[in-house]
Amino acid sequence: MTDLHFMTAAAAAKAIAAKELSPVELTEALLARIERLDPRLNAFIRLDGEAAMAAARTAEAEVAAGRVRGPLHGVPVGIKDIIDVAGLPTTCHSKILADNIATADAVCVSKLRGAGAIVLGKLSTHEFAIGGPSHDLPWPPARNPWNTDHHPGGSSSGSGSGVAAGLFPMALGTDTGGSVRNPASCCGIVGLKPTYGLVSRRGVFPLSFTLDHVGPMTRTVADNALMLEVLAGHDTSDPGSVAAARGHYAAGVDRDVRGLRVGFVQHFHETDMPADPEVTAALEHVARTLQLEGAEVRDVHLPTLGEFGAVNRVILQSEAWAIHAPWLRARPGDYGQLARRRLMAGAFFAAGDYVQAQRRRLEMIAAVEEVLRDVDVLLCASSMDPACRIDSPADIDRTYPRQARTPFNVTGHPALAMMAGVSVGGLPLSVQFVGRYFDEATLFQVARGWERAAGTDKKHPAIV
Amino acid sequence: MDKQTMDKAMMELLARRAGLDKALAEHPEDVAAAATQAADVARKIKAPADPRAEPWPPMRAGDGL
Repeated sequence: MTDLHFMTAAAAAKAIAAKELSPVELTEALLARIERLDPRLNAFIRLDGEAAMAAARTAEAEVAAGRVRGPLHGVPVGIKDIIDVAGLPTTCHSKILADNIATADAVCVSKLRGAGAIVLGKLSTHEFAIGGPSHDLPWPPARNPWNTDHHPGGSSSGSGSGVAAGLFPMALGTDTGGSVRNPASCCGIVGLKPTYGLVSRRGVFPLSFTLDHVGPMTRTVADNALMLEVLAGHDTSDPGSVAAARGHYAAGVDRDVRGLRVGFVQHFHETDMPADPEVTAALEHVARTLQLEGAEVRDVHLPTLGEFGAVNRVILQSEAWAIHAPWLRARPGDYGQLARRRLMAGAFFAAGDYVQAQRRRLEMIAAVEEVLRDVDVLLCASSMDPACRIDSPADIDRTYPRQARTPFNVTGHPALAMMAGVSVGGLPLSVQFVGRYFDEATLFQVARGWERAAGTDKKHPAIV
Repeated sequence: MDKQTMDKAMMELLARRAGLDKALAEHPEDVAAAATQAADVARKIKAPADPRAEPWPPMRAGDGL
């Protein structure tokens, strides 16, 4: 069997269950690729190859004995290093937590293992999931496999880089202001921020309690749906968890988009933050393609990106300050500069700023809900630019905030980012789809409609 | 307080009140950048016109525990 590294999770699980592929063979192939490529990508903070091989041998023995744990049996996964994996450090890519050994798996990791997945190790992130690529931390920042001189987005940067490069078919990321969808956009993969409360955050180091989400990152829409099916569900140990019925996301992913109503939020990329012309052209191409596939596309309006961003920032930085204040007071020098600046900002908000942001948040939720009464899904920009060079702090400062992801952390609606094309410079361009609360199934349907028409699941970086 | 006119003295006062004395001594430029970021962002929030507008999430006694 060839090209094991770009095999989808669904195909691998199917082949393993049918005894056509050994989990040991798959894990060995991926570990060999990691050994070859990761020195250039820095996707891993901590590779746990020995444990992964032991788990692969167990998975192989289980299949031989006729036992398949679940839909991801024998499939390797990478875990962002703010998520606990029992026995491994959860460093949050920071000197502050360098020796913080997790005593138990996070609920999301436990669910993946329960479905048969094999944990390969812990992945790079922006420090404490905030900031940007930093060169003053104990581990180097991850790089973009489409061009290693460019950043892979973040904060789930190792997750995006590794999935795109074929180091593993799926990864866990977290998303507080776009941190699953940014690397998905920069690396040309599929990243979902589920509805707030659908996936447990228990065992995940918090950045902002009311904005944090855990989400799946994969190379295909079908794999994303498969992963969400495993991850979703009520958890009494997470106070934000919602007792909503679990969807059967994977089964309906291939339904066509005929008759669906798609609201195109053009003002985000046309007037709020004028996008790079290649991004604008790609978004228009996505809209036209969905129309040709039978969807009805209409223009819709939401509050401006500037206002969404400000509400997100005040809430995020106020809540993050409450978490980090003791360390920022005692050990400010143990943070990298980017995280130190972003996290200290929370000290300068007044209590009234936070309450005003939360009041405005409710109005914004109502505005998005009103639009979603008339359409089934929103189509909008994710990143306004392709990923810039990683060694250009000025370009990173300029382009990182040019995005349309934070609105849906503020409102909690499910949002998926994926490839919309490839730039002239050879870097992925992106699109975002947004759905109604707990209607990830329709989101996957539209995303798959685009993927099927454009063949984005067949486009991979040429890194070897 | 007018967030647009936070001066150095005000910034240092707020930083000390927040317990950031060490950061102020060792990373004064980062404390100043953080204060500027906060001031820039907070002034962009439009307070709801209706004084009865509730924050999110609402208080719900006996719910969610």
